[in-house]
Amino acid sequence: MSGQQLAVERRPVAVRRAAVLSTARALVILRWVVIAAVGAAMGFPLFYLFSSSLMNAHDVSAYPPHLLPPSIDWSNFARAFDYLTGRTIVNTFVYSIGVLLIQLVIVLPAGFALAKIPFRAAPVILAFLIIPMFLPTNVVLVPLYVVTHQLGLIGGYAGMIIPVVGRTAFGTLLFRQFFVSLPTGLVEAARLDGAGWLRTLWSIATPLARPAIAAYASITFLNAWNDYIWPLVSAPDDAHRVMSVALAPLAGGQLSTIPPNVGLAAAVISTVPVLVAFLLAQRWYVRGIVGTGVDY
Amino acid sequence: MAVHVHAPGTRERPTAGPRRARPPRLTTRRRDAATAAVLVGPNVVLYAVFVVIPALAGLVLAFYDWDLVDTPTFVGLENFQAMLHDSTVAHSLLVTLEFLALGVVPTIAVGFLLAVLVNARLRGVAVVRVLYFIPLVVSAAVSSVLWAWLYQPQTGMFNEVLSIVGAKPIAWLSDTTWALPALTLMIIWMSLPLVIILYLAALQRVPEDLIEAAKLDGAGAWLRVRQIIWPTVSGTTVLVFALEILNFIALPFEIALIMTQGGPIDSTTTLSLYIYREAFDQGKVGYGSALSIPQFLVIVLVALAARYVPRVFVGRRGSAA
Repeated sequence: MSGQQLAVERRPVAVRRAAVLSTARALVILRWVVIAAVGAAMGFPLFYLFSSSLMNAHDVSAYPPHLLPPSIDWSNFARAFDYLTGRTIVNTFVYSIGVLLIQLVIVLPAGFALAKIPFRAAPVILAFLIIPMFLPTNVVLVPLYVVTHQLGLIGGYAGMIIPVVGRTAFGTLLFRQFFVSLPTGLVEAARLDGAGWLRTLWSIATPLARPAIAAYASITFLNAWNDYIWPLVSAPDDAHRVMSVALAPLAGGQLSTIPPNVGLAAAVISTVPVLVAFLLAQRWYVRGIVGTGVDY
Repeated sequence: MAVHVHAPGTRERPTAGPRRARPPRLTTRRRDAATAAVLVGPNVVLYAVFVVIPALAGLVLAFYDWDLVDTPTFVGLENFQAMLHDSTVAHSLLVTLEFLALGVVPTIAVGFLLAVLVNARLRGVAVVRVLYFIPLVVSAAVSSVLWAWLYQPQTGMFNEVLSIVGAKPIAWLSDTTWALPALTLMIIWMSLPLVIILYLAALQRVPEDLIEAAKLDGAGAWLRVRQIIWPTVSGTTVLVFALEILNFIALPFEIALIMTQGGPIDSTTTLSLYIYREAFDQGKVGYGSALSIPQFLVIVLVALAARYVPRVFVGRRGSAA
């Protein structure tokens, strides 16, 4: 409005403004180009993984390297599947989904109780959960192995899954955070209608917690799927092998035993499920990380 | 006192007949505690067994000689004495610090700048932004296979780029000078998404009128970033700093175990990796546990430093507000 007045009064300003606008526009375009270029660089390794996994044995080792497969060789994937074995792929799902579901059952009710049920031990338990949150697994790897070994759990699904489920701090704090922000009125209304805590949890709180469950599930699933050290240490036999454990030897200079294009195809097979899951759940994943500030 | 007040209520209840009276307060509180115990119990038990007990057990095992099979023998301070004479300990501690020194600050700085860059309400940016999160879905194992391929000495992409520039090829992962920086670069790539996500969230809290005011005052983009945005997100910087230190202790262990097995000639053997080898390959569980103590001290020191260092490093000079 005032801009119009000015323009009427003094033309040079309008002219100058037009120049400023076009500079601003150029800057916007420049910024877009930079964003796209850096994004392409970030995404390049994954693009190159997919591309190389489709090359035939000759093209994949050609020099100079090809960016795109000159001809597409799908047989790499059949051979990669044979190398990984169906059992290993199933194990990866059993491990990731097992960790996710069992921990969810333990972590959601605890988060609810810590947020909504008044009891004296709550602050103590909270402090107890927060203190070692910053202890990376590898520091306690040896004693964790010892404890699991003493419980007789090494070498089976239970030994792979239960100790990881035991790292409950992240999930518990995430759900507590969510339930704290849930209006107490909703819970109290249910209580006044005569619903017990368990009923309130099951039919009021849990359905409302769907966003928190989505955030928790996407982060936990992704982390578990990508786990390497613990599945390796706790169940090293072929019957319980997960894909990370099967893939790792291919990176250690032993690509020669398995042709590189087949090894890269195996890496693609193990990445596609999480890639799809992430693209679908990206929003929840980001919210979960930002909500707690931490993802492990 | 409470008991006296509520005792009549408790007594009255049986006579209340079919019409249910509200349960008296004391019972409610007890019932609350019981329900809470049921809901929290399994969580606390598992957490105690698999997080707290291992942390404490590590301290105890450090005084024993044990191979997981025979009866553990108490050896007092022998493990700690052995540590002092073990040259690999000092070396692997140094490697751990090298990874931290090369990795943490670049990850934070680049992550911050990329977050500022993509924090734009431009058409199509939301789609492109996904590319910045891509490394999240690439596991340590897949990443290792992939980057080993990129670092491949004869036909790898990195040496191809070097040859385009006219530089000599490098035997990245089998060169004692280059293996550690090569792994660090890969870990930075893997770590950027988390940093970008956390900074993007923090950037939503930067007051827009402040930015506009600075623009009117003629502050250029770099000045606005330095003087307004960077100080505003300092809380996130402290968090990210702590997270990245833990990350650059955890990931080099995993990645070096997969890609270089700590080599060539131990040039990528971090303390965690050395602990792992001693405990799991040599069967020296007690010694491994003893070695975890300096590792733990490094983390505690670093955690303490994380409380103070960012204050220097974030800086508050010339506060624009």
